[in-house]
Amino acid sequence: MRAIPLLLGMAALLAPLAAPAREAPPVVVSSRLDDVAVTVYRAPSRGSGGIDAKWPRGFAFITETRTVTLPAGVSALRFEGVAEGLLPETAVVGGLPDGVVEKNRDARLLSPAGLVDAYLKRRVTLRRTDRATGKVREQEAVIQAGPTGGVIVETESGFEALGCSGLPERMLYPRVPDDLSAKPTLSVLVESAAARTVTVQLLYLAEGFDWAANYVADRAADGRTIGLTGWVTVANGGVTSFADAQLNVIAGRLNKVYSPPLPRATPGPLHLRCWPMDTTSTHPRWGLAPVEQGYGGMMADAAAENIVVTAQRMAAPMAPAPPPPPAPPPPEDLGDLKFYRIPFRVDVAAKGQKQVALLAKDAVPVEQLYAATLTYPGNMRPRPLILRLRAQNDESGGLGIALPAGMASVFETVAGQRLLVGEAKIGDKAKGERVDYDIGTRPAVQYGVRILPDPDAGDYRRWEVTLTNARPFDAAVEMLIPFAIDPAPQDWERRGDAWVWRVTVPANGRIVQAFRERLKGD
Amino acid sequence: MRNIASICGSVALIAAFGAMPAAAQEGAQPNAQGDVAVTIYNNGQSLVQDERQLAVKAGRNRIEFPDVSARIRPETVTLSGTGLSIVEQNFDFDLLTPDKLMDKAVGQTITLVRTNPATGAERTERAKVLAANGGIVLQIGDRIEVLRDDGLPVRAVFDRLPPNLRARPTLSVTVDAAQSGTVPARLSYLTPNLGWTADYVALFDAAKGAIDMQGWVTLTNNSGTTFADARTLLVAGDPNGGGGGFGRLDGAMDSAGTESGDRERLGDYYLYPLPRRTTIANAQQKQVSFLDVKGAPATSTYEYVNRWLGSSTEPVSAASVLRFTTSRAGGLGDQLPAGTIRVYMRDARGDPQFIGENEIGHTPMGSAMSLRTGDAFDVKVQPTVVSRTRKGSSRWVTKMRYTVSNAKPEPVTVSRAQDGLWGDVRIEDESLKGERVSADRVEWQVPVPANGKVDVTATFDTRY
Repeated sequence: MRAIPLLLGMAALLAPLAAPAREAPPVVVSSRLDDVAVTVYRAPSRGSGGIDAKWPRGFAFITETRTVTLPAGVSALRFEGVAEGLLPETAVVGGLPDGVVEKNRDARLLSPAGLVDAYLKRRVTLRRTDRATGKVREQEAVIQAGPTGGVIVETESGFEALGCSGLPERMLYPRVPDDLSAKPTLSVLVESAAARTVTVQLLYLAEGFDWAANYVADRAADGRTIGLTGWVTVANGGVTSFADAQLNVIAGRLNKVYSPPLPRATPGPLHLRCWPMDTTSTHPRWGLAPVEQGYGGMMADAAAENIVVTAQRMAAPMAPAPPPPPAPPPPEDLGDLKFYRIPFRVDVAAKGQKQVALLAKDAVPVEQLYAATLTYPGNMRPRPLILRLRAQNDESGGLGIALPAGMASVFETVAGQRLLVGEAKIGDKAKGERVDYDIGTRPAVQYGVRILPDPDAGDYRRWEVTLTNARPFDAAVEMLIPFAIDPAPQDWERRGDAWVWRVTVPANGRIVQAFRERLKGD
Repeated sequence: MRNIASICGSVALIAAFGAMPAAAQEGAQPNAQGDVAVTIYNNGQSLVQDERQLAVKAGRNRIEFPDVSARIRPETVTLSGTGLSIVEQNFDFDLLTPDKLMDKAVGQTITLVRTNPATGAERTERAKVLAANGGIVLQIGDRIEVLRDDGLPVRAVFDRLPPNLRARPTLSVTVDAAQSGTVPARLSYLTPNLGWTADYVALFDAAKGAIDMQGWVTLTNNSGTTFADARTLLVAGDPNGGGGGFGRLDGAMDSAGTESGDRERLGDYYLYPLPRRTTIANAQQKQVSFLDVKGAPATSTYEYVNRWLGSSTEPVSAASVLRFTTSRAGGLGDQLPAGTIRVYMRDARGDPQFIGENEIGHTPMGSAMSLRTGDAFDVKVQPTVVSRTRKGSSRWVTKMRYTVSNAKPEPVTVSRAQDGLWGDVRIEDESLKGERVSADRVEWQVPVPANGKVDVTATFDTRY
């Protein structure tokens, strides 16, 4: 007689537990890409330096084409194999005839702790193996607590802590919950009027990509022209590869706001902790290692970093340089950016770098200059000038194309040997601009400065500049003089807030020039 | 009699198991929430209202509310229901762990199941837990021993779970009920870690001078709890930020609008109810569409601002700026909650490509917007200080030249500004008529022909 009110009481207690069993929409998994286009953007804050190979700081805009079969009604469409650095707030799904109800990005991951979390207050099978006989015993259990601080299960005999008895025991779950996935996954809730197969486009921005332009400039024997070859180095720092992709890169700087880190799933690694287990003999440390359920192995075999070089111009001495690859098409204007379309399909491999040709121009005339900015002498010692190769980025100068920012390596061939002269960073250069390759100081051309007494020292300062040339050729010098010269020179160029003094130092000769600086206005 | 009692016990156990699969379908976690309504503010603060059916008996009841936000602010909890008056509220966040289970079992009797390592035979005995300090000291019959002192396997089985320890943080309320029965009650509380922002996708068509703009609400739930099938209302505004939610410094608004939209309002805030119930899962970022405008007029322009006496030896890129309005006539026709606008353009093959993004603050309807998306590759400005002449003890005349170059195959107009004029700088001479937009700043609209270059000169007379 007492049993009936007890059962009713339990039913009333359990009623709110059973009531909200709401119907989850069916899940459609899309894991295959029919087509993919990857457009890579430079790291906005990176100057002309190298790519961070571990986690490239730029980003990519990825357009994926997938075919999915949708049932009639509402269903959850899960996109697997998206880029690791996916920014879910940027995802756009196109091609769904009845639109998207909502987009979700779930960080709940399939892991030992994630399983305990998903099966909390639910039934699992506890399997115990007898060490002596090998006999396996299974029993039903309900997870009552976990995964933080250990797992407590309820069996028919009472409540026990998992992994604390010294017996081999493990939990068996009937199935993987649908909302746990191996990787953070993008899913959309879609509504379809009828069951149908559709082609959808998934567009999103993803971090962990970068690209850089690199130039190889080969000076002709007479030194008057260079052959310029540009390379695009594209890096993918994520774990997702994109096979047979249309690769594009975008030059220019665009604005990118900070993306806050995404929410993390709460369960970390599962540690089965027990009550204190000091014993008389081993106090205070007892020898039983906690049983850990295979965490860590999943991450360990992530692909080792490898670099894929599909094309590279080898700096082979003595051998003739291989013919440059055909020049790719010039960039498109995309708004105020430059859009380079790689003319063939490539694989954008995970944790890899790739190089493709950007441009190739022969016989670009260059002017060789020695450059410096006149500064107050700290001591009397002469200082070397910077070797500058100047090209004009226009048709008459053999170029006339957009030059994305990057590092240029300048080579010269001396007695059949191809030698590196130096490296120079250049910024984004539009058509029509002057391009200066500053490739380091050269000891052959130096300048010294002396301050001479001036009769009107309150208002004037006298500078004496001595330029020396140890080369057997004339040296064209371009020096910026950042003060008011008295009298003001005629027909000199102003650049920034300085005068540009151009002078030729004769072969193995010297030039001494005095300037009078006006300290105050009149 | 003992037989019947044990049968009853096992029936109850089966009933308990039998109830599990109903809630255990399709990975949905058992959830004790009732009819949930969530109001989410921009600052990550949310109001949760949870209507549950409570079975109460007349008099004092202790009611537990599992599945509230793990980040609940207990001081904001209110429970209302007919005939219920609150005696006390507790928020227990002491989590049930094996360690605590043993600690709370001190003084109680538990079951030990010993396994013979040679034969696998099991032997059961009852033991009283005397202490749990470093190791577990047990009394079994008249002997005292330490749990697993010999290292042999021993299962410790507890008869019950201690009260007040939970698998999840749990709210419990003690109420006085006027009469027994099932009472609908509304639990409401504030929780942090549940917020939203807006994300906009703007597809710009330069040839047509138009944008298509889609707005998405991005909800982020880091509260530790899933809100199942919730009615969701979003409030554009920050109740703690002051200034009506216009807290962000970085914005794109040139002039604030004066038009009112059709959206619901709450005080000075706009409301965005989601059209249907949604499940906001823990550790989830969810997006729901709220704006879709096609063909609003927009223009691409260029801006360059020079600081006082600023000069450069190389040309510097002008900023690319997208201008549009949020007004009803000739604009987006809606107010825009704070968020990020991402701008896309179609390439020569018609595929959309990303060309830059920027943040906006809460923007009323009717506002003029200029959104800086990046730097122009082909439109550059090189400022040069041509001369600087002293005209007296505290007077200088500065001649500036701004070379604006355009490598694009079409003409452009660059909005070129000079900052830092203070109030007392006079413009003696200028090659193009500028507009003194403020005492500190003058702006010139410089038309530059296709593949061309234009010099603008200006002479400033300064005193200090």
